[in-house]
Formats: sequence, structure tokens, C-alpha cells
Amino acid sequence: MNLEKVVFSFFMILALTLNFGFFYGDVVDPDHHNIYELFAVIVINLIATVLKFGDRSQMGAMLLATSLVAVVQLISASVVWTFAVHIQQIGLTPTVMATIVSLSGGAFLANIISVILLMIEAAMLRR
Amino acid sequence: MNTVTLIILRRMRTPILLLIGVYSITILGMVLIPGVDDQGNVWHMSFFHAFYFVSYTATTIGFGEIPYALTDAQRLWALITVYSTVIAWFYALGKILGLIQNKAFQNAVATNKFKNDIKAIHQPFYLICGFGETGKAVVNSLTEEHYRTVVVEKDEKNLNQLNLDELKEYVPSIIGDASEPNILELAGIQHKMCQGVIAVTASDETNLKIAITSKLLHPEIKVACRSEFKDVEENMLSFGTDHIVNPFESFADIFSMLIHSPSLYLIYDWLTGAPNTKLSEPIYINKGPWILCGYGRFGCELYKHLKTKNLPTVIIDPDENLKEAFDQKREDSPFIVGTGTDHKTLNKAGVVSAAGIIAGSDNDSNNLSIIMTALEINPNIFVIARQNKWNNHILYSSFDKQNKVEDDPTTCLIMHPREIIARKIRSYFLTPLLDNFLNLARQQDNEWSNITISRLSAIAGESRPHVWSIRIDKLSAPTIEQALRFGRTMKIEHLIQDPGNRQSKLRCVPLLLIRDNKEQLLPNDDIDIEMNDRILFCGTHDVKRNMNWTLNVMRSLNYVMSFEDEPESYIWRLFYRYRNKLERRHNR
Repeated sequence: MNLEKVVFSFFMILALTLNFGFFYGDVVDPDHHNIYELFAVIVINLIATVLKFGDRSQMGAMLLATSLVAVVQLISASVVWTFAVHIQQIGLTPTVMATIVSLSGGAFLANIISVILLMIEAAMLRR
Repeated sequence: MNTVTLIILRRMRTPILLLIGVYSITILGMVLIPGVDDQGNVWHMSFFHAFYFVSYTATTIGFGEIPYALTDAQRLWALITVYSTVIAWFYALGKILGLIQNKAFQNAVATNKFKNDIKAIHQPFYLICGFGETGKAVVNSLTEEHYRTVVVEKDEKNLNQLNLDELKEYVPSIIGDASEPNILELAGIQHKMCQGVIAVTASDETNLKIAITSKLLHPEIKVACRSEFKDVEENMLSFGTDHIVNPFESFADIFSMLIHSPSLYLIYDWLTGAPNTKLSEPIYINKGPWILCGYGRFGCELYKHLKTKNLPTVIIDPDENLKEAFDQKREDSPFIVGTGTDHKTLNKAGVVSAAGIIAGSDNDSNNLSIIMTALEINPNIFVIARQNKWNNHILYSSFDKQNKVEDDPTTCLIMHPREIIARKIRSYFLTPLLDNFLNLARQQDNEWSNITISRLSAIAGESRPHVWSIRIDKLSAPTIEQALRFGRTMKIEHLIQDPGNRQSKLRCVPLLLIRDNKEQLLPNDDIDIEMNDRILFCGTHDVKRNMNWTLNVMRSLNYVMSFEDEPESYIWRLFYRYRNKLERRHNR
């Protein structure tokens, strides 16, 4: 058993599941999308990205790329949230909420790809 | 991804993870703990404000309790935030600083920079292996002509001097053993702009290895090597090394010019020395026998030349075995066993009536002692000293100065191996025709040399002239090529006409003309120029620049040929023709 693999897979899959939890629900309804969940998704995705730093393998590079995509999408979502609530002070209107959720949906897709890559890697290992 | 980024990313993984962890916990805490706003209502910090608060606290900026004063519970959490985040930051900074000071990391950075430097070179460059005394002189002379160079040197101490010296071009350098092929590869031996490899490390073995490597990795480039031993030299030649410089042979060559004609030596010295340095003084040697102290590699070479000139020679050497071997060869020159540093031996060798003495042992103190003693006995003697270590340069030059009387001809010649090799390599790469010129000049008599040196001194003025060659073809002389194609007759005198002023000629001398492998020494001004001629010129740097006008700009060429300044634009040309017509009518 490789501890590094366990830790990384844990964070990767946790990012996916949390993201699903945030993403699932009515797109325009703020009550279906918990801010704490978004916060957790961002943190877990950041950790998963940093864990792939300095990995020389091809798979490592792919995973780093997908996590970076997820991080960029999620941070954009949080910036939109901040803009709407604090700067423009229009609150979570349906338009704003739809933007945030669709951004997190993109990140969700990136997370799915990461997990698929993880599964391919695991399937290729014949030890 | 390059090594440097990889190292940074891998080393920074833990600190960044720690920072992310600490930040997320403290932010979450700040959001969850209820506070009180200015109206006394329960208030929760939003993620945005919490992130802001933690950010300025973690970086020890500390704007205070914004937007509302914190409750005691929040303050407790703020305390935890302060200590945990600040410690996490210190840890991260410590890691970065440790990484920067890490030797392996610094090497990786240096190598990376070197690689980028090499990649960024877009003009022809030379690769110099060994930055010792010779390497330094070679780099100096090449950069002086604005050629790019790359240096590979084993010793870090030698390389450090590279930055101190003020060179005219940036010289990328790397610490490494040039005999290792991967170092040479790194240094751009396979770069398409690499013109030549110059192997001037102290060891013949390394130079040999460099020559083999370069010939294998990049067969088209020129390779010049320094070598002190015959067998290594033959080995180098066997696989096509282009140019081999043996300092002893080269000096013997120079010596033969000197005893052939002092003016010829002066021509050599002026033309091959670094441009813009002070001109050396003429040399005067008395008639009489020569004394040769030290019959090693150096002495042997010089003796050969003394013999071919039929100059009587006395040999002094402390080695008895050498004397035996020498006597067996039935040479008629006397051989005295001794060092030559004492009065007795020198007197025995006849120093009083000798024309010159050569201090050619491999020991600098002995050499200095020989020349001092000899000059004490016979102040008019011509002295040739072999300098072995560059560090002793100060001793030799101070001796040279003490011995020198103002306006007197030079009576002392010091052999610096570094200078000789640098000159050889310089002329090989920059002015290849100069060798042909000197070889031809050697076949001329003393009279010719005297006349030539007076011509050279007329154009040179105070400092050493530049030597350059031009080739009449489309690339280097487009205007001349065009003129010849249209059937115009061009003479050398047109080339040396000043394109800026019709009254004067450029201060330069055509030294050599090569046409269809036939060489012509000091071609006359009225010789017609033909396609593919190669002409070697000598003059000041300004002259070289002025001549380029004639070679590249049609207007300048027309001017030097017709002394007319023709307008180039259509309207002015019409006006010009009209005016000429008027003038002609008027003259009638």
C-alpha cells in the first residue's frame, strides 16, 4: 500500500463528492447550495493540486492540469459570490446563483476527469 | 518543465499544504464564531471578510478589528489565527531561503541560466574550453572584435575573474570538465551557430579529448587545440583537428623571423597583436654568436633555426645526459654543462662577444638570473627570455622596463606562451589570410621587410593597426559584385579611396591578394579587381568602417569611381540632368 496514493486519492475523491454536494439541486435556488460546502471544495481542491506539485510522470502532469482547472473554476465562482454579496450588494439573485453553480459544475466535470484518470492509473498498475 | 521549477515545486509542497490547511481552519473558525455588530445584533463574518481578516493578520500587517470590534470568543480565535498562520509563514519562508542557499539548487539555477543563454545566441560564436591565461587572452581578443564566446572551465576560481574583466560582449560560462561530452553538449557544441571549438586547457590529454568530442558531435566546425607534445599533436591531426598550436614551435617560428630580419619580426608583432595596443619598438641585434641556455623542448626548436641560419651557437644545459646525446649527433656547436646563472659558465660561453642570449629553461628564477648576469657582463647583448608562469609576468616586465632606455631599440624579447597561443588562434579564426601573408613575407629579404614596415608605420600612427580581409562576392561586397557584373573596371585604388572625401585616400595597405589560389604580396593600387578575389588589408579601425561604405552602398562606390555625388531620387535626378545641360550650353 502506498500512503502517498491513498492520501492523494482521498483528497481527489473528497473534492469530487463535496463538489457534487454543492452542485446538486435547483440551479437558481440559493438554499440548495451551501456556502460552507463551496469553501470546503475550494480548500480540498487546492490541497489536491499542491499534492501533485513536482510530479514528473505524465499522469501526474494530467492530474495537475485537471485540478488546476477545477481550482480556477471554483475560485471564479467564489469571486462572483463575493462580488454579488459584498461589492454590488445585489444579493444572490437567480442570475448570480446560476453563474456560481454552473462554474462549480465545470469544476465538477474537471474533478470527474481527475477521478477517471485515477482509476485508469489504478487499473494499469499490475502489482 | 525545467529542473529549477521542479525542485521549487517539490520542496514547497509541504509549506504550501501547511498554509492552505492553517488558512482554511482559521477562516472557517472566523466565519462560524458569532460576533456582535454596532447595534448589538448577532453577526457572522462572511467568508470574504474572514479571508481578509486572516490575510492581514497572517502577514503581520494587522489592520485591526474590522468591520466591528471582535467579541472575546472571536479574539480567542484571532489569537490562534495569529500564532498558527505566522508560524506557517515563517516555516514557508525558511524553506524558500534554505532552498536558495542550497548548493545543488544554485547549480541547477546556474545551469539553467547557462542553457537559456546558449539558446539565446543568434550569431556565430566560439566555444572556449579552459579559462586559464591562454583562454582569457583568446576570449579578450575575440570579444574585442564583437564575436560571441562561451567558456567552459573546471576551476571556479578562474571563472570568477570573468565577471570582473570588462569584456565587450556577454560571455556565458559554466563550471565543468570540458573532457566530458555532456558538458560540451550543454555548452552548445551542437548549436548551429557554433563556429569553432578552441581547446586551451592546461592538459594536452583534455585538449585531445575535446578535439575528438567536437569532431564526432559536430564534424563541420573548426577545432583549434593547444598542445605541447609531439605525439599528442600527431594524434590530434589524425582525426582532422584543424589547427594545432604548440607554443614552443610557434615561438621558434617567431624567433626564426627575428633572426631572419628584425623588421620582419616587427611586422609580425604589429599585425598579430591585439589592435589598438601600443606599437612595439624596432629591434636591433648585433652580429655575433648566440648563447642558448637550456636545451629542452624549447631550446631544441630554437637551435634548429639557429643552425639553418648558420649562426654560431654555444649551448649551456645542466643535464649531462643531454650533452652525451648531443655529442653523439656530431653537432659542431660547443655544449657546456651548467645552468648559466653564474659568471663562470657565461664567460666560458663567450658572453662578452655574443650577439644574443636565450634563457630557455623551464624555471623562471633561473631564467631571470641568467639574463641579469648576462646583461651585467655585456650590456649590449640581445636577450630572449622564456616565461613559464603567468604570475611571474610582473618580474619579467619590470626587468623589461629597467633595462629599457628611452628611444633605444628594444634589446629584449620575452616569450609568453599565453600571448603566442592567443595570437595564433586569433589570426587563425579572425584573419586566416594573415598566415599566408607572413609565410610569403618570410621568403623576402631584409630590404623588403624594411620597406614594408615603413609603409605600415606611416598608416598605423601610434597604435597597432587592424587587419581584415574582404572577399569580392555578393555577400560581403554587393556593390563591387554588381559593378563587375555590369562590366565596369574596378581597381584596388578605388577601394582605398575615401568615400567621404574625394581628396584623400584611406590610411590602409593592401597586404595580400589571393586570386585562384595564386597569392600576390603587397598588390599594387592599379590592379584590376575580379570576382572572388580575397584581399587582406591593414589599417585603422575607422578605415575598415569607411571601406564598408564603398563595399555596401552604390552611391559611395559611384562617388569613389567618378568623384560625382549623384542624386538618387527621380525628381532630383531630372533637375540634375537639366542643370548639367544648361551648364554645357553655357560653356559652348
